[in-house]
Amino acid sequence: MEIKLFRPHSLEEALGQRAEYGRDALPIAGGQSLLVMLRNKLIDPQVLLDLEPLGELRGIQARAKGVSIGAMTTFFDLLSSSDVQHAAPVLAQAAGKVGSTAIRNLGTIGGNLCHNEPGADLPPALLALNASVELRSRKGIRNVPLTEFFRGYFETAVEADEILSRVEIPTLPEGARGAYIKHSISPEDLAIAGVAVVLVPDGKNPVSVRELRIGLGGVAPVPLRARKAEAALNGRALTDDTIAAAAEIAASEAEPMSDPHASANYRRKIVKVLVRRALAAAIEGGRNGHGKA
Amino acid sequence: MAKLKLLVNGESHEVEAPETALLLDALREGLGMTGTKRGCETSHCGACTVLLEGMAVHSCVVLAGRCEGKEIATVEGLAQDGELNELQRLFLKHGALQCGYCTPGMLMAATALLRRNPKPTFEEIKVGLDGNLCRCTGYTGIFEAIQACALGK
Repeated sequence: MEIKLFRPHSLEEALGQRAEYGRDALPIAGGQSLLVMLRNKLIDPQVLLDLEPLGELRGIQARAKGVSIGAMTTFFDLLSSSDVQHAAPVLAQAAGKVGSTAIRNLGTIGGNLCHNEPGADLPPALLALNASVELRSRKGIRNVPLTEFFRGYFETAVEADEILSRVEIPTLPEGARGAYIKHSISPEDLAIAGVAVVLVPDGKNPVSVRELRIGLGGVAPVPLRARKAEAALNGRALTDDTIAAAAEIAASEAEPMSDPHASANYRRKIVKVLVRRALAAAIEGGRNGHGKA
Repeated sequence: MAKLKLLVNGESHEVEAPETALLLDALREGLGMTGTKRGCETSHCGACTVLLEGMAVHSCVVLAGRCEGKEIATVEGLAQDGELNELQRLFLKHGALQCGYCTPGMLMAATALLRRNPKPTFEEIKVGLDGNLCRCTGYTGIFEAIQACALGK
């Protein structure tokens, strides 16, 4: 049967269609992953519910308490936004590493999160930024921290009648800096492993850690925070030894899978390397006046 | 089926296609504009690159139904009055193609890049073309042709 395309005129109308059709009406954001899945017959929806006409879902608002990003905001919007570069450069950095130019021109933050493909670039960065998402349905609005959003491979907390409408990033502590580092065979591939850090330093020499957040992608059933590694460094001076120890702990927190791109064992080893490099990049960036998270 | 009005290279066309038809199919099958190539169909190779509102997109992952009222540019629109444009001439001069299958996509990605950034560095050219694969020649001739175009040589 031919798939129908709904082009709603308002979010209200889209939520009504979602309530009526449930999982048979699949919201389509940028379509950069969904249309490939459709072509490969991995999904079989009755309806594609096109979110593109909903202008209210696209755009970036910088406020005192943080940055609010509409779900239909593209990777290109993110990486070229002065608000994102200023308030959350680690997100702009991650957005710049997604796929290729053409994919960044159409792919969206909301689609990237809802697709939840292992190795996606935005989740580690958004986890390290303590982001949350706004999910809307006819019944109302709920805000879900990103740490509770990812449920399994390609699975999220989005219910059959819901649409992800916004991503909220709280303002970073003063002096925070960050970095996202991705390991892939070719730059436009999904990450074999991706590591984002946000570091709030204390003191100057040696730099010690007031707060550290580490987001891992591609190395577990869901993107996650390396809480034990974070705890091991909090309040400690950053030296080669303490960083190496924390990187080791982060690797032990990963639950990687083996696939044609990399073995589980290799992924675990790469996490260790990337955590070290991401911390070094965040520290170095801070010294040069760049690298602010 | 749906009737779509598409604005391609400045001309309005009407095409009948399934509601969720891809832009690639609307152009090739619907309008017979076969300059845009069908490659991987999974957004990896870039052979199907066209411009949508001036931005490079892979037409194999764009719904045609989303393109109504928007400006679409394909490789057929580059030459004017039967004369190749500057970028096309420089592709020839620099030997930027062998089999030619990737060339329409390369030209469109380069066109989008040069509109947004008329004087790209070599590195920026590489990033601008990161969604386009060539399996014959390597990329040096392609990058050089684009650089020459930017420098007006």
